[in-house]
Amino acid sequence: MTATVGSAAGAGRRLPRIPVPAALILGGVLAWAVTMVAAGQPGQISVDGFVSILQRATALGFVAIGQTFAILVGSIDLSVANLVSVAAVMASFIMQGDPAMIVPAVVAVLAIGAAVGLANGLIVTQLGVNPLIATLGTGLILQGVLSTSFQNFAGAVPEAFQVFAYGQIGPFPIGVLTMLGMAAVAGLTLKYTVFGARIYAVGGNRDGARLAGIKTTRVVIQAHMLCSLGAAMTGLYLASRLRSGAPWVGRDGVYDLESIAVVVIGGTILAGGRGGVAGTIAGVIVFAFIDAIFNTIGIDAYLKQVLRGAIIIAAVAAYAYRMKGHVA
Amino acid sequence: MTGGDETAAASAGEGAPAFEMRGITKTFPGVTALADVGFACRAGEIHALCGENGAGKSTLIKILSGVYRADAGEIRLGGRPVRFDHPVEARDAGISVVHQELSLLPDRTVADNLFLGREPARFGVIDRGVMRRRAREALDDLFAEAIAPDALVRDLPLAQQQVVEIAKALAFEARIVVLDEPTAALEEHEVAAFKALVLRLRDRGVAVVYISHRMPEVFELADTITVLKDGRHVLTAPRGELDVGAVVRAMVGRALEDFFPPRAETVGEPVLSVAGGANDRIAGIDVAVRRGEIVGIAGLEGSGKAALGRALFGLEPFEAGTVRVGGRDVHPGSPRAAIAAGIGYLPEDRKAEGLALMQSVRDNCMLTMRAVAGLFGRPDAPQTRPAEVERMMRAVDIRAASPDQEVRLLSGGNQQKAIVARWFARDPEVLIFAEPTRGIDVNAKAAIYRLMRDYAAAGKGVVMISSDLPEIVGVSDRIVVMRAGTVVGELSGGAGEEDVMRLATGHTEVAA
Repeated sequence: MTATVGSAAGAGRRLPRIPVPAALILGGVLAWAVTMVAAGQPGQISVDGFVSILQRATALGFVAIGQTFAILVGSIDLSVANLVSVAAVMASFIMQGDPAMIVPAVVAVLAIGAAVGLANGLIVTQLGVNPLIATLGTGLILQGVLSTSFQNFAGAVPEAFQVFAYGQIGPFPIGVLTMLGMAAVAGLTLKYTVFGARIYAVGGNRDGARLAGIKTTRVVIQAHMLCSLGAAMTGLYLASRLRSGAPWVGRDGVYDLESIAVVVIGGTILAGGRGGVAGTIAGVIVFAFIDAIFNTIGIDAYLKQVLRGAIIIAAVAAYAYRMKGHVA
Repeated sequence: MTGGDETAAASAGEGAPAFEMRGITKTFPGVTALADVGFACRAGEIHALCGENGAGKSTLIKILSGVYRADAGEIRLGGRPVRFDHPVEARDAGISVVHQELSLLPDRTVADNLFLGREPARFGVIDRGVMRRRAREALDDLFAEAIAPDALVRDLPLAQQQVVEIAKALAFEARIVVLDEPTAALEEHEVAAFKALVLRLRDRGVAVVYISHRMPEVFELADTITVLKDGRHVLTAPRGELDVGAVVRAMVGRALEDFFPPRAETVGEPVLSVAGGANDRIAGIDVAVRRGEIVGIAGLEGSGKAALGRALFGLEPFEAGTVRVGGRDVHPGSPRAAIAAGIGYLPEDRKAEGLALMQSVRDNCMLTMRAVAGLFGRPDAPQTRPAEVERMMRAVDIRAASPDQEVRLLSGGNQQKAIVARWFARDPEVLIFAEPTRGIDVNAKAAIYRLMRDYAAAGKGVVMISSDLPEIVGVSDRIVVMRAGTVVGELSGGAGEEDVMRLATGHTEVAA
């Protein structure tokens, strides 16, 4: 007799669980190594080569870590790209090349990030606006205000602050280490703390979480604040790397859509409640490998977009297939 | 209007009630869900709450657990009046409800779920060791040694998920536990273990409210039985003073011949026949429906009766067997193919699968016609003209302010009629009604039955899939009973509820 009762279906048919982040990074490394050998540059396959790839991943990494929180809690943030621009411009504008202003500028930028996240969270939870629309709106407002006030590179960062992007500890750039450190803290927070458990609970079943006594609106707001802080970090990093901030750096990096893409590639489901930071970082690194591969073989940047698009679709289709496998 | 006081008296026999509800009244737009209902339960008592679908059981429980607020009446806990504005307040007062649809997070572990919202932690870091140990204790306490605290809930069979849900309720130190159709989704070997668990709860001094349609279970477990009907309190009595017949009579409680339309006098040749139908969920399906006939498909939750309807309409198609409609072999591999083959389907979940709630009655009624209109069909084709829509609405008696009223503002009965209208316009050879009267009030039920009967009388075949036993027995010309994914028997329309139940459960001592 075929199993007819829903209960029987759960356990048996599950596919073996390959750790997705590991598989993604491994695939990226392999593709990269093969390309480098084929292109006659096997020398690139080294610690330095790998580190330079991580460096490409850094800017997207910060904002994607934040986006992971927003998506896990069942929301989303489209305002991050514009917030990156705001953060980069404000950092260099406040610093004006003066090392004494580094600390005030960093504090101000993080405060702006937190405030934008708070606003996003409040609009989503208190006004009941769909997060897609709410953050699209705040993003437009941020960009509008920024573009009317600044038309070009504004101010400059002092050399001391450029250490963030260019300094190294051993072979490792400080920016990369900071990003990976933040990823580790975020990952451990999600896995081991009460706060992390609440993020998953609210994203997994908001009503269920509410009935368990969790203040769901507060958790959503906190997740949005972390998301915006991630974007602010990206802005600081870009200001350091470009030595100044311009009001288009966020948009040019497509940090809104790319941060969402890498979160989803990493196995966090868009509906929330499942996934994590490790997958996101793997997604970021895969994107960086694609960049490196295409730069090496010198293919058109637009074709690169095609491959990125295909990878996003393939990844999500694979997850959907996997889900169906054990839901059916 | 003394229902409330009588209940209180009946239940106050020994010891004070753990909770007591008096004079509870609740109305929703167009429906009085509860009228002056009283209900109480003592600590260490299993109190069964019985009634047909729509009798008001779930509304009463939602008021008790703080989901709804009563329009009138009071709730007392341990003698003190209380007022819950939020489910969390009810839970903190010791009231836990285990719903049919479980509220667990499937992607989290058992321990995570048990301690959701109050994880043992130091400086914000969850103490996994403590959490796991306490989860282990809570599960062992329920004889659930087989459940690992670190297992993902998704990976557990449904019966174990239910145990986790109950463990969660107890972990909140619930003194009042409401079990809403707890065995509906369980397999038979799981039910016995579950009953033992319920008795154990009672012996620990928990006040257990037990909602079930399964009479044998009610009579095996309950100390006291309360029956609701049409939002009113009918009776409360100790189990010893009642028998199954008395409870069923109290639940149905009206002259059936007025409620159900007369049966078919003549039936024609088969209009639908399935031979050897099978897919993942069902197997060995042989069913025939003749013109002019209403065939009821009965069975417990999980018996495959819902899957049969979905297979016929191509939602989860048959993978084997043959389907014939009006003498032709057809292959309903998708809803579109099923419609083309002459099969229509009214879904079980009206709101999710049937209606565009924010759109007008007109748009909802026209949906099936528009689906088959050509891409360049004119939007003002004859069928969509106001007069035509109004004629359709009159034909099924939809009570709406105008065809432009949004469907979400209608009562459940009128919403269902809008879907009926949609299918009448399409005029399929076979029309499948899945749980046609779930959640709609008594008068609208009778109207839906008449519409089904009229449709069959026009020479069509009607299939009615229902969990509502009185309706199965009252409306069907023939009853096909399913169990464990296959057809286990067929009864004539006049069969008793016990006969259907006996086939559906596979138990033979049902009448006891």
